[in-house]
Amino acid sequence: MTKALKYERINVGDAMPTFTSDPITRTHLVRYAGASGDFNPLHHDETFVRMFGMPRVIAHGMFVMGIVGQAVTDWVDDKNLRKFGVRFSGMTEPMDLDDPNSRDRATIVVTGTVVEKFEADGEKRMRCDIQAADKLGGVKLTGSFVAALS
Amino acid sequence: MADKTKVGKVFPPYTFEVEKGKIAEFAMAVSQKESKSQVKPIYVDSAAAKAAGYGDIVPTSTFNICFLLWGGGGLIPMLQEVGIDLVRLLHGEEEYEYLLPIHPGDVMTGVTRVVEMYDKEKKGKPGKFMEFTVLEAEIRNQRGELAIRARTTLVER
Repeated sequence: MTKALKYERINVGDAMPTFTSDPITRTHLVRYAGASGDFNPLHHDETFVRMFGMPRVIAHGMFVMGIVGQAVTDWVDDKNLRKFGVRFSGMTEPMDLDDPNSRDRATIVVTGTVVEKFEADGEKRMRCDIQAADKLGGVKLTGSFVAALS
Repeated sequence: MADKTKVGKVFPPYTFEVEKGKIAEFAMAVSQKESKSQVKPIYVDSAAAKAAGYGDIVPTSTFNICFLLWGGGGLIPMLQEVGIDLVRLLHGEEEYEYLLPIHPGDVMTGVTRVVEMYDKEKKGKPGKFMEFTVLEAEIRNQRGELAIRARTTLVER
């Protein structure tokens, strides 16, 4: 359970706690496809992506955004989230279960930094810049969120 | 190639009834968990959500993607209608503004419109352009109250 973050205790430059996902597998992609309703075969059918010369399926961008959302709401309470936006910059390939070396490319590390404290709509808020990258350093998305503080 | 005469087009509304099971399924998916007992209780347990200061169970922050994909005819027919080439398509940006909480039993209606279409020259490739289409959606609950504003930027590379 998250604790309410206090405006006085948050400073510009503070880091959001770093979040590390489980290595993304094809099973995670199938689960996300069913949950979200995004059944683009690009995300689960290797025979489809091979027609485009791709070696393997790729994760839904929105799945990676969902993981980032979990990282954010591990820190700020869900009810305090006001805005959340991302710009996608890189694709994510799932790990191959028969290749342990592929874990790092499929593991998402979410980091963030407080960039602004302000008041709006009668409440105290902060804006944080966020980034998701794999463990090899490949950036998947950048963005920001705004959360209310107590 | 995106048909720029479609700027301002409003797509038919789509409706989605929010169910506890779908909220839990989505929370498990984005949390990479195998069971409801492993995700944050406010996503699956009404009593826990109320104890934490919520009106009831709430969905995770990107759940509203379901409203269009499960509640409507999906994104692809919409994209085809405005002439977007699916083979060149990339998801550029996605942004949400959360105005009101969403709980099980709510019936959400979304209206999506095309707000902008523009070209940008590719870096280092003079004369070659990427095409951008920006969609905005307003998602309201059964009382007609605006709960979420969503903005999606699509790119044809």
